[in-house]
Amino acid sequence: MGLKQIELTVNDFSHPFLVESDETLLFTLRNRLYLTGTKEGCNQGTCGSCTVLLDGKPVLSCMTPTLRCVEKKVITIEGISSGENLHPVQKYLVKNGGLQCGFCTPGVVMTAVPFLEENPDASRREIKEGLSGNLCRCTGYKKIIDALENAAAEMRS
Amino acid sequence: MSGSIGKPTPFIDAVQKVTGQAMYADDYRMPNMLYVSFFRSTESHAKISKLDISEAESYPGVCAVAIGKDIPISFGVLPISPDENAIAVEKVRYKGEIVAAVAAETIKAAREAVEKIKVVYEPIKAFFDPKDSLEVCAPEEQIHSHTKNGKNIHKTAELRFNEPEKELEIAKNKQSGFFKFAGVTHAFTEPHSTLAIWNRDDTLTVISATQVPFYLHKNISKVLGIPLHKIQVKKPTLGGGFGGKSDPFPHEIITAYLAKKTKRPVKCTFSREEVFITHHGRHPTELSMSVSCDDDGIITALDTDIIIDGGAYGSFGVVTSYYNGVLLQGPYKINKFGFRTRRTYTNKHQCGAMRGHGAVNPRYAVEVLLDMMAQSLNMDPCDLRNKNFLPENTLTVGEFRITSNGVRECLEAVRRKSDWDNRYGKLPFGRGLGVACGFFISGSALPIIWNRYPQTVVHAKLDFDGRIVMFSGASDIGQGSDTLLVQIAAEELGISMEYVQVETADTKITPVDLGSYSSRVTFMVGNAAKTATTKVREEMAKAISKEKDVTAENLIFNNCRIHTKDKSIDLSWEEGVEIALAGRGAFVESGYYISPKLGGDFKGSGAGLSPAYSFGAFISEVDVNPNTGAVIVTKVWGAHDCGKALNPLSVEGQIEGSIHMGLGQAISEEMRYHNGQQINANFFDYRIPSSLDTPDMDITIIESNDAEGPYGAKEAGEGPIHPVLPSIGNAIYDAVGIRMMELPITPEKVLSKMKENA
Amino acid sequence: MDYYHTPSTVDEALTIAGKLSGNYTFFAGGTDIQNYRKQQLDTNEYVIDLSEIEELDSITIVDGALHLGAMTTLDKIVSSDEIQNHYPIIAEAAKTVATPVLRKTATIGGNLLVTNRCTFYNQSQEWRDGVGSCLRDVGDICQVTGGKNDCYSRNVSDTATALIVLGAEITLMTPNGIIQKSLKDIYLPCGIKFHDLEERCILTQISVPIEPKKWWYKKLRLRKTLDFTSLTVAATIDTAGIARVCLNGVSMSPILIEKPLKELTLEGLISIARKNCKTVDNDLMPLKYRREMINVYLKEWWKSFR
Ligand SMILES: Cc1cc2nc3c(=O)[nH]c(=O)nc-3n(C[C@H](O)[C@H](O)[C@H](O)COP(=O)(O)OP(=O)(O)OC[C@H]3O[C@@H](n4cnc5c(N)ncnc54)[C@H](O)[C@@H]3O)c2cc1C
Ligand code: SF4
Ligand code: FES
Ligand code: FES
Repeated sequence: MGLKQIELTVNDFSHPFLVESDETLLFTLRNRLYLTGTKEGCNQGTCGSCTVLLDGKPVLSCMTPTLRCVEKKVITIEGISSGENLHPVQKYLVKNGGLQCGFCTPGVVMTAVPFLEENPDASRREIKEGLSGNLCRCTGYKKIIDALENAAAEMRS
Repeated sequence: MSGSIGKPTPFIDAVQKVTGQAMYADDYRMPNMLYVSFFRSTESHAKISKLDISEAESYPGVCAVAIGKDIPISFGVLPISPDENAIAVEKVRYKGEIVAAVAAETIKAAREAVEKIKVVYEPIKAFFDPKDSLEVCAPEEQIHSHTKNGKNIHKTAELRFNEPEKELEIAKNKQSGFFKFAGVTHAFTEPHSTLAIWNRDDTLTVISATQVPFYLHKNISKVLGIPLHKIQVKKPTLGGGFGGKSDPFPHEIITAYLAKKTKRPVKCTFSREEVFITHHGRHPTELSMSVSCDDDGIITALDTDIIIDGGAYGSFGVVTSYYNGVLLQGPYKINKFGFRTRRTYTNKHQCGAMRGHGAVNPRYAVEVLLDMMAQSLNMDPCDLRNKNFLPENTLTVGEFRITSNGVRECLEAVRRKSDWDNRYGKLPFGRGLGVACGFFISGSALPIIWNRYPQTVVHAKLDFDGRIVMFSGASDIGQGSDTLLVQIAAEELGISMEYVQVETADTKITPVDLGSYSSRVTFMVGNAAKTATTKVREEMAKAISKEKDVTAENLIFNNCRIHTKDKSIDLSWEEGVEIALAGRGAFVESGYYISPKLGGDFKGSGAGLSPAYSFGAFISEVDVNPNTGAVIVTKVWGAHDCGKALNPLSVEGQIEGSIHMGLGQAISEEMRYHNGQQINANFFDYRIPSSLDTPDMDITIIESNDAEGPYGAKEAGEGPIHPVLPSIGNAIYDAVGIRMMELPITPEKVLSKMKENA
Repeated sequence: MDYYHTPSTVDEALTIAGKLSGNYTFFAGGTDIQNYRKQQLDTNEYVIDLSEIEELDSITIVDGALHLGAMTTLDKIVSSDEIQNHYPIIAEAAKTVATPVLRKTATIGGNLLVTNRCTFYNQSQEWRDGVGSCLRDVGDICQVTGGKNDCYSRNVSDTATALIVLGAEITLMTPNGIIQKSLKDIYLPCGIKFHDLEERCILTQISVPIEPKKWWYKKLRLRKTLDFTSLTVAATIDTAGIARVCLNGVSMSPILIEKPLKELTLEGLISIARKNCKTVDNDLMPLKYRREMINVYLKEWWKSFR
């Protein structure tokens, strides 16, 4: 197996470094790039807290081999808001109380942003579906869904 | 006054959390840091006859290996049952118990070295069924040598008042039932993680995912023999607790030990499976309960016999044993009342405190029995409950002092909103409504470790920058206690929340607080914070009155200004600060909270004492598929009396989260074992409800304005879970006519009950 | 030799596979196999990641048949108009797999070849050490039955259930050329070797003739998302009156029952199904209940067209 030298573009910056050949993108982000906003809740694909964007598409970084991401663009929670402004999804999660402990939150954001971009007119029911791979133990989901409805409205306008 | 209190307020750390900036324990790292991996028992109950760590010790990258006899002093969250060792000494008591720990340069090396450890076990008879633990066994089969009479009973808690058994014997209207509850676990999303740093001035810093920095501090000191004044425990942002991070844990002590031994920073973070193994969740419970009423539906007696399966160690078990019984004293008035709880040791993961601690399962039982009672008396279940509520300002039979009580309003609200009167008992077959009420402490009046200090102290500091910094040991575990401190300071000083920042849960910097458990923080810390900031205001007013020649009492702190009513004096906050600090500089004011003397003087009277109690009433609507037995909870109306909602956004959030968690225990969650090994130690098979499984919710906050609570507030973090489960159980009865006495209410149980009934 | 290979054509993938002499694992989406690697249940030395092979990502209708490239994601299948119009049952089945985000990575090929599951097998190495390793792993008894010969791990592919009742054909590429066969024929009633695939072969395409059929699909699970199946039943009736009923999640392979409708009675169907399903207690839903649900689901289907 062994180490491999790669370049990985994360949040629009290309980093050269060594990785173990079989490591996951989640491990690389957290342990080699110290991008700790992406969370590890299960390392089995079951909780959604590790969601990031790979070429614009949401993926579970704990299931994604790092070597698959070479020459692709990775966006993490650290790269989702532009400068001072929060993304509407983030803004309404804050405002509507769509988070408590916040551990699931980066994953929720990284799932919701592409979801609402793809489905700007999503109904409440569809938002619930879109979020159904993101386990949250604190909120009972209600305020998360409220926030995403409001974010969708703002994104549409 | 600033109007911060009572306004829906986003958490002060919410932006950090949505941007990924908030630092959780595993997000911290240090130069030169080592990683820990654990070697865990593959036996349920066995003597360790040989343990060979030599190959692991010499494995490349390994810096230290720890075994039981390195850290032999036992500990436990309750000083009355310190029955656990950080690492198993001589024998193991459950599969997954830590037998050795390796610290190495990389996590990979640590894991590989663990595989080199060799052990030989001598198996001992293992106990998995709590009923077996009630029997006398051979001395060598005893799980702990300290248990009495040759049995594996950890604790028997029993109280009785006014001979309930006699009343129940003769009662005309009596309902009895045998109930069974599977164990459930907290399943917070952030796995346990601890970073311990040995500083070269011979002090220890521990950054850990804990709800109880203070108890961790004490236990590290005790086990590792490090003086209290050389330890600092910090709680970083915490990814949920629900009681599952409210014990001092072996991994925390081991990590600290390895840091001390190697003189380097050491980190350990659990896999999800290890989180399940560590557990400390709700006890599997079996109980029989009887309730009697007179012909008018007034409750005359309640008696219950409870067995809780504690697993291998004590944890909070002694408290849990009492809570199972004593918290049945509300919200209904019951004069003839008794219970016995026996907590057994078994060779499984240990159980402890979990949201609604101890009271959730018996609450289910009593609410179901009352539903049966209403039915047998041909009375509406809401009416029956209404007749029995405790009044305000009263004592319960076990001398709990009830102050504010909004349970009537709670029931009234959900009854109206769910259109109960027109729909209960009238929905088509398969659909149903069910009601239940709840009752919980708002902070335990007694500390776990007896001492003469107040329960909490808060410091408020004012300095040249005009900023108020609130120093509090309170642990924000996602419930928003940091935000509460800021709201209170802003309220008392009439400034906007931006002027206030917090420094919390750091045993070196912040005054001690006992921790985030027993729903104590809002009430106790809130009161202390209010006192501290009131004093800051008074100090400022005093200085200004001197300089400006006005009476201090006439100064109004509002809108970031300090002024008299006629505005003849009208200072900006900064000007006020300037005056207040003149000649003295920065100052700190302190507030504390000590609960009043409460309770009777019989043995066991201390359990469940609280300066105030919360109340609630919930109604659930369900859809039961009679062909498959599947239960879908479609809507829950929840009303909770939290005294006063200091932050309605967060009170609602607590109630909504309770509905989610209660729903999980009611219909899908269960710790499942095979020969003492959990077979669903993952999120595939430990089924916490997803967004699609969680029902619509309608939340009502009832404010009974408690006279002693800060601004009238009581608790909202745990109380709301109690009514959720029985309201679902009772709704299933309304839907398809079956009484579910066993949780979780999985489809196969519904189906077989329906067949039994047909 | 490099650990990780990302061929961009099927040919290239086969060439690499040839060089790695059997000691490799294909990753399609990787959403299934990744956990087996983490748990040391798949210990092949090399990985060949098929996700760069664009030729396998397609949904087309040619000559009256629907063709799905094996690397098409389940998400694309769920939202494809073609599929929703002609074969809603495929979309329906795909939608019941895993979670929305996983479906953006998970492929139809990977789902058809998803690894068989068992409560006592899909566990970490430490866990297996605790309970004792089983037949399918390195041990010598089945932890469920105590038997020494047979493994009853369950096939859990939801889309296979649907595609089998549509009579799907698959295309395999091997070093020796293209092989076409009926999808149902790749499943073996064995919990250890559950796929009958040639050495070094890549599933490239799934084809379904488009013809009108009445369909029915249902998956038994506790939550509305995330859970693997405890029983999946799919059924069709074609214009010739042939009924095809497939049950999965309750045996080592999908169980297909194919008969002219007029020769079928509900009782007969149930009894064949119950006889052919080798269901054991290796799922979180209890055995008795899953067996009972076979009856309930079949009855429900039966009623649906009566
Ligand atoms: C949380 C979670 C929930 C899940 N729920 C479900 C569920 O409900 N139902 C279900 O069926 N699955 C479920 N899965 C498993 C998995 O996600 C799906 O089966 C998925 O469709 C697999 O597709 P993949 O492309 O990721 O397959 P991979 O993991 O890449 O591959 C699966 C297997 O097929 C082989 N393979 C894949 N493609 C080819 C090919 N073209 N040629 C030859 N061999 C190939 C691989 O070598 C591997 O052995 C779940 C997984 C997770 C993590
Ligand atoms: S069915 Fe038996 S042999 Fe097969 S995986 Fe399960 S325990 Fe192992
Ligand atoms: S950590 Fe990736 S899904 Fe849980
Ligand atoms: S906010 Fe705590 S898990 Fe979602």
